[in-house]
Amino acid sequence: MSQSYNRGLIEDFGRWKEFSAGMWAWIFHKFTGWMLIGYLFTHIAVLSTAIGAAQGEEVTVSAEALPNVDGTGEVSVDIYTATLGGLEGLVIVRVLEIGLLAVAVFHILNGLRLLMIDLGIGLEAQDKSFYASLILTGVITVASVPTFLAGVF
Amino acid sequence: MKGVQSPQERRLEKKDAKAKEEPARKAQLEGETVHIKVFRYDPEVEGKQEPRFDDFHVPFEKGMTVLDAVIYARDEYDSSLTFRHSCRQAVCGSDAFFINGRQRLACKTQISDLEQPIRIEPLPHQEVVKDLVVDMSHFYDQMHAVEPYFQDEDTPPVSDLEEQRQSRENREKIKMSTRCIWCGACMSSCNIAAGDNEYLGPAAINKAYRFAMDDRESEEIKEHRLRILEQEHGVWRCQTQFSCTEVCPKDIPLTEHIQELKREAVKKNLKFW
Amino acid sequence: MSERYSTFTPGGTGWLLQRITAAFLVVVLAFHFFQLHFVNHAADVTFAGTQARMENVGYFLTMVLFLIAGAFHGLNGVYNALVNQGLKGTPKKIVFWVLVIAGVALIVQGTYVALAMAGWS
Repeated sequence: MSQSYNRGLIEDFGRWKEFSAGMWAWIFHKFTGWMLIGYLFTHIAVLSTAIGAAQGEEVTVSAEALPNVDGTGEVSVDIYTATLGGLEGLVIVRVLEIGLLAVAVFHILNGLRLLMIDLGIGLEAQDKSFYASLILTGVITVASVPTFLAGVF
Repeated sequence: MKGVQSPQERRLEKKDAKAKEEPARKAQLEGETVHIKVFRYDPEVEGKQEPRFDDFHVPFEKGMTVLDAVIYARDEYDSSLTFRHSCRQAVCGSDAFFINGRQRLACKTQISDLEQPIRIEPLPHQEVVKDLVVDMSHFYDQMHAVEPYFQDEDTPPVSDLEEQRQSRENREKIKMSTRCIWCGACMSSCNIAAGDNEYLGPAAINKAYRFAMDDRESEEIKEHRLRILEQEHGVWRCQTQFSCTEVCPKDIPLTEHIQELKREAVKKNLKFW
Repeated sequence: MSERYSTFTPGGTGWLLQRITAAFLVVVLAFHFFQLHFVNHAADVTFAGTQARMENVGYFLTMVLFLIAGAFHGLNGVYNALVNQGLKGTPKKIVFWVLVIAGVALIVQGTYVALAMAGWS
């Protein structure tokens, strides 16, 4: 058998309609995992402004633009408060936070499902438990929207 | 005289029998056919070097399996159509194909259960040799890597009889794992086996399970088996996708067996504390 | 790979630690989200508020453990996802060490940040 045809992996994603529950769970868990580790690095980077703040670094900001600063007009705040406030003042950031919630909640719920599977509990219902995690993720995300978008509009 | 039919009775009987046959034959002849699309590829033939799908319309009979259909297609329409098959009763494991998007044994799959046109393709994640024939050597390599044979050299013989008895419970425990027919459906369905070609795969791990959990092998042999399984590309690669369990034509709970072996490996290592 | 015999084989330890950190993270991440989006609002976070929380030794230690567990779980997850996809040989070794260095850097930086937040740096 000198020649053979290697179809490779590429064809797989074209067959997404044929994917089973377990396969979707694996794909989503990986995807949300990558998102979360990416976020962790970004998060620590943003929080690093606390070092500057602890050393007294300050910036001048507009009090109205920042949700965590009281008062009016130009004020001087530490760089940490300014950075976080500046970010939290952006609508896109508030929306992305809801996305972060959805990602984290799914990863947690499916992660619990995986822990159960690893302990040998509920293997017969493994596909149902995946659908349950998806639905619960949706429910929790939707329920949290009011809190997350409070004061934005 | 009893038992002798009158000519009228005989004529009626014949008429009834013919009437029953008519609709079945009619259906067959009137074109109750099934449409199958079969993957074709042959590196040695002009026109087949690029894979394509050939359409066949095979006459349908009640109880027909996918294997029946491709055999008919090969015998009546295209004798170059190539595929493996043997026992036609789901014990040899030769005819595992990718049918309508799922790994199945062709001899065990009813045409009437499938939506037409029926797509018949070779098993994914394996190199295609010709048409529906895939290269199974990687699969066999992984099976052989787990030493799929009984190793009882260390087991002490029982009295003078030399008979090694297995308790009923132990037999029950490994019963499902003994059913493997090496068809390759599971390995073909596993995404990790597709990506990482050093992964032992569900079939090999299940085979190892069959022996590791068999009481008739000694503890040393069991440890030896576990040491193979707890390598980096052994049981740990399994991501509990469950595709293997879903496609196994012998209903072996593969994922469950792999999970049990993971727990065994962890327990064994924790004991050193 | 090296044949050194350890009580924990390479594959087994990673697998188990991933589950242990997972169980820990489920609780702490949920707590963190609640703390910073429901109990307090993310939009109201100031340095003063953060300092008030981080000054509490128990909270501080929990956050540091959270960081270590999260970094391990995430980077080990990334490593395994890549191995599953077929990463091997030299690229695998390189990726492994890059992830280790990234992890150490993350934890060191994060701890430094935590100390700054608590006012102890």
